[in-house]
Amino acid sequence: MQQILKFVFSPIAFALGFLWPLITQVLIAASLVAPGWTAVAVGAAIAVPWGLVAQFKGSWLWIR
Amino acid sequence: MDQIVDLTRVDSLTDTQLDVLERQIANKYMRKVPWGAVAWGIGNCVFFFTLLPLVILGYVPLWLGFVLATVSIAASYLPSHEAQHNIIAGKGKPLRWLNELVGHVSTLPLAYPYRVLRATHMEHHAHTNEAELDPDYGVHAASDWDYLIQQIRGRLGGDGGNTNAYGATLERVGQSALFVDAIIYEVVYLGVLFTLAWTGFAIEAALLWWLPRHIALIYISYYLSWAPHHPGEETGRYRDTRAFKSRFGNVVSMGMQYHIIHHLYPRIPLSLTPAAYRELKPILARRGCDLGAL
Repeated sequence: MQQILKFVFSPIAFALGFLWPLITQVLIAASLVAPGWTAVAVGAAIAVPWGLVAQFKGSWLWIR
Repeated sequence: MDQIVDLTRVDSLTDTQLDVLERQIANKYMRKVPWGAVAWGIGNCVFFFTLLPLVILGYVPLWLGFVLATVSIAASYLPSHEAQHNIIAGKGKPLRWLNELVGHVSTLPLAYPYRVLRATHMEHHAHTNEAELDPDYGVHAASDWDYLIQQIRGRLGGDGGNTNAYGATLERVGQSALFVDAIIYEVVYLGVLFTLAWTGFAIEAALLWWLPRHIALIYISYYLSWAPHHPGEETGRYRDTRAFKSRFGNVVSMGMQYHIIHHLYPRIPLSLTPAAYRELKPILARRGCDLGAL
């Protein structure tokens, strides 16, 4: 249970659960990417590495 | 109630007489049910959770929804604060249920559990400005800009402001069971955000709850913790909290200009702290309180 909660509250879970669709929808709303799987892939390409860096560096902007 | 104490008379009183007079004045403002805070707490919660579908369904523009949501979340803490201090009704009183209802309901937009806030806030009162024991001690910063930078850096670092200090406080006071409340609130909050995001409403979720909540937490902490306790170097009943004049007025500063009254007499409702302050001011000046320009 502790491991599950640790994952749910982790930066990578936030990136997968929220940042990924958010970045995808922002890119589409700004007409930077056409709606569809390409937008989803670009969203993942930004959100997942960002979440991984936040997970292992302990900061979303590397200023800590 | 608005009778102002004669400053000359205050100067001639002994410390014991001053204690008696101070308590007599403060007592006049206590034991009054703050019905405005009750309506505010419940009404604001209903407003916030009505706003979300109205924006998502297109009845309210997103930019306006963002502004209203931010104001609503920022306004959600204070009614709960009244309940934390049992101001609406103490234990065993007929309206106790209403006190607890307001406490729980009002902070739902903030996604912060009432019982955790109450337990940690009592420790803040008991140990104000004590580095090891005050759960709000971490907000202290040299200036308001330093405070803002520290808060933003803390949130980007993923520690969520005072989360670590609050957790440590709960453990220290033997209230670790309240972690369950915190976990449930966080799981539900993230669950709503993730669900909205993956069903096509990520931008709405970000601008109606995620970003407004961060802004509101920084704002609330500024006026309730940083400003009235700055510089946070002194302890003691009459020195750990100050009065201050906000350039933005009493409403924008959430009534915290008079926070010194709240720390001296936590059972005085927020709406009555300005009147209590005006009447107690000569006594507070004699006590050596920092009254700023108020």
